[in-house]
Amino acid sequence: MAEIVIGYDGSDCGRAALAEGVTLAKELGDKVRIVFGFAPGGAGGGEVPTQREAVHELGERITAEAAAKASEAGVDHEVEMLNEHAAHALVDVAREHDARMIVVGTHGESPLRGAILGSTAHRLVQIAERPVLIVHADGD
Amino acid sequence: MESASATVGAGSEPGGKGLKADAIGYLTNLVISVASVAPAYSLAATLGFIVAIDGMGVHAPAVMVVSFIPMLLIAAAYYYMNRADPDCGTSFTWVTRAMGPQMGWLTGWAIVVADVVVMATLAYIAGKYTFLLFEWDSAAHSLLAVSIVAAIWIAVMTWICYVGIELSAATQRILLSVEVFTLAAFAIVALVKVYSGGAPAESLHIGLDWFSPFGLPGGSSALIDGVLLGVFIYWGWDSGVCVNEESTDSARGPGKAAVMSTILLVLIYVVVAASAQAFAGTEALTSHKNDVLANLGGPVLGSPLDKLLIITVLTSASASTQTTILPTARTTLSMARFGSIPSAFGKIHPRHLTPSVSTLAMGAVSLVWSLFIINVSQNVLGDSITGLGFQIAFYYGLTGFACAIYYRRELFRSARNFVMAGVVPFLGGAMLTYIFVKAFIDNAPVDSAYSGGVFGLGAADVIGVGLLVVGAVLLVFANFIYPRFFRRKLETAPPHFLEGGPTGPAVETVTPE
Repeated sequence: MAEIVIGYDGSDCGRAALAEGVTLAKELGDKVRIVFGFAPGGAGGGEVPTQREAVHELGERITAEAAAKASEAGVDHEVEMLNEHAAHALVDVAREHDARMIVVGTHGESPLRGAILGSTAHRLVQIAERPVLIVHADGD
Repeated sequence: MESASATVGAGSEPGGKGLKADAIGYLTNLVISVASVAPAYSLAATLGFIVAIDGMGVHAPAVMVVSFIPMLLIAAAYYYMNRADPDCGTSFTWVTRAMGPQMGWLTGWAIVVADVVVMATLAYIAGKYTFLLFEWDSAAHSLLAVSIVAAIWIAVMTWICYVGIELSAATQRILLSVEVFTLAAFAIVALVKVYSGGAPAESLHIGLDWFSPFGLPGGSSALIDGVLLGVFIYWGWDSGVCVNEESTDSARGPGKAAVMSTILLVLIYVVVAASAQAFAGTEALTSHKNDVLANLGGPVLGSPLDKLLIITVLTSASASTQTTILPTARTTLSMARFGSIPSAFGKIHPRHLTPSVSTLAMGAVSLVWSLFIINVSQNVLGDSITGLGFQIAFYYGLTGFACAIYYRRELFRSARNFVMAGVVPFLGGAMLTYIFVKAFIDNAPVDSAYSGGVFGLGAADVIGVGLLVVGAVLLVFANFIYPRFFRRKLETAPPHFLEGGPTGPAVETVTPE
């Protein structure tokens, strides 16, 4: 069974990606792998592990919702949480499971804004080794 | 509550990345350590004040060396505490484990207070140097104009931390290279001009006594006052200790980076201090203590390279601001998760994944404090940085003691354990305690401070120690509100931990309440 990797962070971007990814998986008979990636502060200092833990708890809550949605749609699914920047986490997971594609959401930021704010979609298209499907968060 | 740290995913698994990744992790830690200390900004803020101390004479470079000693000793404490558990946080968590919740809470308070106080100096330098960059001198000397830029600066920096924008490691390396290069160019050109007769008449030839901590006209009091300022210039290398993810050998790499960065820093400080003093003489540095690098840039480097020096101070200050807001927000996040302060501080922004309430609170408090102190103090930099020295000495000192206490049962297993995990951190703590007490006495007279005094004490003592006393009062209340936290038991290193493998946490999970 091929897999579709979905970047999910609980935002409207993540929800758009999840909806599209689950629909595709259903049609293709694929499994979805819901990925939540986060690496706290490269700019160092302070109690980094605590932030990682707090984010991890948040991630568990959020991905549980996503998993419930996939179940509802009757799609086979798994959740992965990685201590890595989202784009890199997606690429690594996709490689590891030889995924068919990666699905992420975007707000349609301009390239400059995307670069400054660290848009995952923006970063992903630069480093991904396999097809990337980018879904606009503001509708169809 | 069960901790989530046991389920960190495959991406952080050590050992899978090979040597190259390890080297990069090490370099990144080193860069982050040095960049967080912000040498250009630290020099801009303190060099003039160290030279200006009564009875300092020509010994400012010696102060740079002596201040380095307690910091190096405390670096050993960071190294060993980090090794005990790379996942256990920093000073607040360590002191809480080793010395109990009361001391731990005060440590957390000291970290937060120090970070708020330093924001005033950062914002002030940002304001002043921004106007100096455009040679708008009247604005640079206007409290109102500097206050406006300072407020904007803090707001923007807080927003950056709140949204979670981060410079990549590569960008940080470039910025730091420019910083080190500019400071080196400044030092070399200054020295060439001194010895080729291109320097002002007040210039001095470097003497061996510049580097000697003995024979100061003002004796040990002048030296200790200098060291209290000197402690500030090395502050921040602990940032590198905490960046674990990118090093494959996370139990040892970051600690080593902290030690290496301290050595690199002492070189920068000694060389720049000596060359600045050789070029301009002590009096010019004293009379321009508030904008010492901006004032020297023109005569030494000439136009337009002097602007590079100002820009370097500004980028350095912005790096320092970020590595002030973020770690403070994480410290209060940690304190909230341990159940020792209101739980709102433990909130994480659902989209940005940053500590939202903690970050905004830090920004707001800093803004109020900065505007207050810039407009009230006769000399923001002088009084604040001396005050900061007390707070830094307090929590670095406690970290040193915490290390010796945490490992106390392991110390007699080998000479190495005894010296490195016991004697060295303890000595660091003892030295900082001595500096704290001695400097408090020296700074007590109202006329010793730039801004006079409050409650019959010098302003630096009030800012430095007064704010710690406020913390002690709040601690009494906290005991009633958060009884569970204050019933925590002390912890020690697991038996034979230091003889065990080089990796692997001593404690399996962090256990916030």
